[in-house]
Amino acid sequence: MVMTLYHGEPTGPSLTVLAALFESGLEADLRPIDLAMGERHAGAIPLNVETNYSVEGEGPVLVVDGEALCDSVFIGCFLDDAAPGSGLRPADPYVRWEMMAWCRWIIERLAPGVAALANRAWTTPRLAALDDDAFAIITGRIVAQDLRERWEETRAGTLSDEHRAASEARVHEAAKKVDDRLVDRDWIMGDFSLADLESYAWLAPMRELLPAAFEGKPHLAAWLARVAARPSVQRALTQARTPEPAHGFAPGPEINRWG
Amino acid sequence: MSEDLTLYHWEPNANSGKPMLTLVEKGVPFASHYIDLLAFDQHKPDYLAINPMGTIPAMVHGGRLMNESTAIMEYVEEAFPGPALMPADARDRWRVRWWMKYFDQWLGPSLSMLGWNVGIGPKVRERDPEELKAAIDRIPLPERRIAWRKAIYGLFSEEELAESTRRILIGIDLVEKTLVQREWLACDSYSLADINAFNSAYFLPISQGEHCNDEKTPRIMRWLRTIYARPAVKTTWAMGRTAMASRIKIFEGEEVEKW
Repeated sequence: MVMTLYHGEPTGPSLTVLAALFESGLEADLRPIDLAMGERHAGAIPLNVETNYSVEGEGPVLVVDGEALCDSVFIGCFLDDAAPGSGLRPADPYVRWEMMAWCRWIIERLAPGVAALANRAWTTPRLAALDDDAFAIITGRIVAQDLRERWEETRAGTLSDEHRAASEARVHEAAKKVDDRLVDRDWIMGDFSLADLESYAWLAPMRELLPAAFEGKPHLAAWLARVAARPSVQRALTQARTPEPAHGFAPGPEINRWG
Repeated sequence: MSEDLTLYHWEPNANSGKPMLTLVEKGVPFASHYIDLLAFDQHKPDYLAINPMGTIPAMVHGGRLMNESTAIMEYVEEAFPGPALMPADARDRWRVRWWMKYFDQWLGPSLSMLGWNVGIGPKVRERDPEELKAAIDRIPLPERRIAWRKAIYGLFSEEELAESTRRILIGIDLVEKTLVQREWLACDSYSLADINAFNSAYFLPISQGEHCNDEKTPRIMRWLRTIYARPAVKTTWAMGRTAMASRIKIFEGEEVEKW
């Protein structure tokens, strides 16, 4: 099995996948790319239906024997299937159900909110600084129209007050959900799992933008420190190429169309 | 611990049909508990005592509650003996999960939006307005309350409906092209991805007959008929109580009502 991981800065889904890879002990060739400059679509990665229409948007891509895999939670499951005993997923089917349901909440409810706030703060200025021709080259390569529209909205910085408020509410809700969960345990599923990486990767960068969501939550604070101290997360953070790796977002999952 | 297995479900359609068909395919006996979605039974106290989220389907096994239909499908696959509905290969398993997310989060919301707008919504609006308002007020999850309000009152903009139609046509195209490459949606064997997708896609030749038919999408039609021929599908659809379940007779060449 020959694997190449195309990843962005260690934040959001790229952080999850880098740390999950290191937890699994599997070997992959690491290729850093600038997701916010559209490098995912620049030709090196053999994009397919799944990567072009990924619900996660501009996430990392793991190429396995020529096939491109995406969506951080499912790449994590793949690594666990390929390296049984990695500890990325619990062994008990009920706790596995709990982990998949938890991760589904994170990717469907929290991730779109974080992506909206992070892109507004950190990606919009980078894209706004591009001239129209340079930006058109990026969007011209993007196959999925709804993803292309999210790039255009990000560049224009058009995040409505309603969308912003809903996104902030999601971060508050997630911070409370994690804090409540950790009252009687160190890790979200009891033992460490992919759920800790996925939750951490989306929540941690919000400390800078929405500190109020983290106040008065001692279990959350202790868990953030615990995840950050894991050797896999430390090693993922050493892959950073910019002074502020937490800012390395790109247009991500869309807000649920049903509200 | 009791080993009793109970599934709370509505019609064999979309989310409810996913665990129903999975259980029947595995040959797992379960107590079927029909919840009338259009009477809003899922938000009434009796059901909230079982599933406080007020969503269907939900499953109770050995006294433990599970919701999130796709996560339940993986649980059923792992917790019970019976024919394998997940492939052995790690990359094939990744593809199964990708296609389920594509249907759950990208295509499914568009299909349900059009279904509610044209079919279910107008029927529900014939009810007593006070009763409808009370039904919405009882919904426990705020995001579900927003979604149900939109669905019941048909508060979809022209843009939202056009976007849903656009996505459905792309979905038809992607599935047809995928079924050129392989016999089943995610890999070379019948899997949870086919079960998940069939529960929405069986309706495409009816709702989108001008785009999904023997002439334009022969592979989709072959795939749907092959799944329809499975005994488990007959058993599952016999558990339906409304005219919705009889729409599946289209695969026997019968004329069926569009909504």
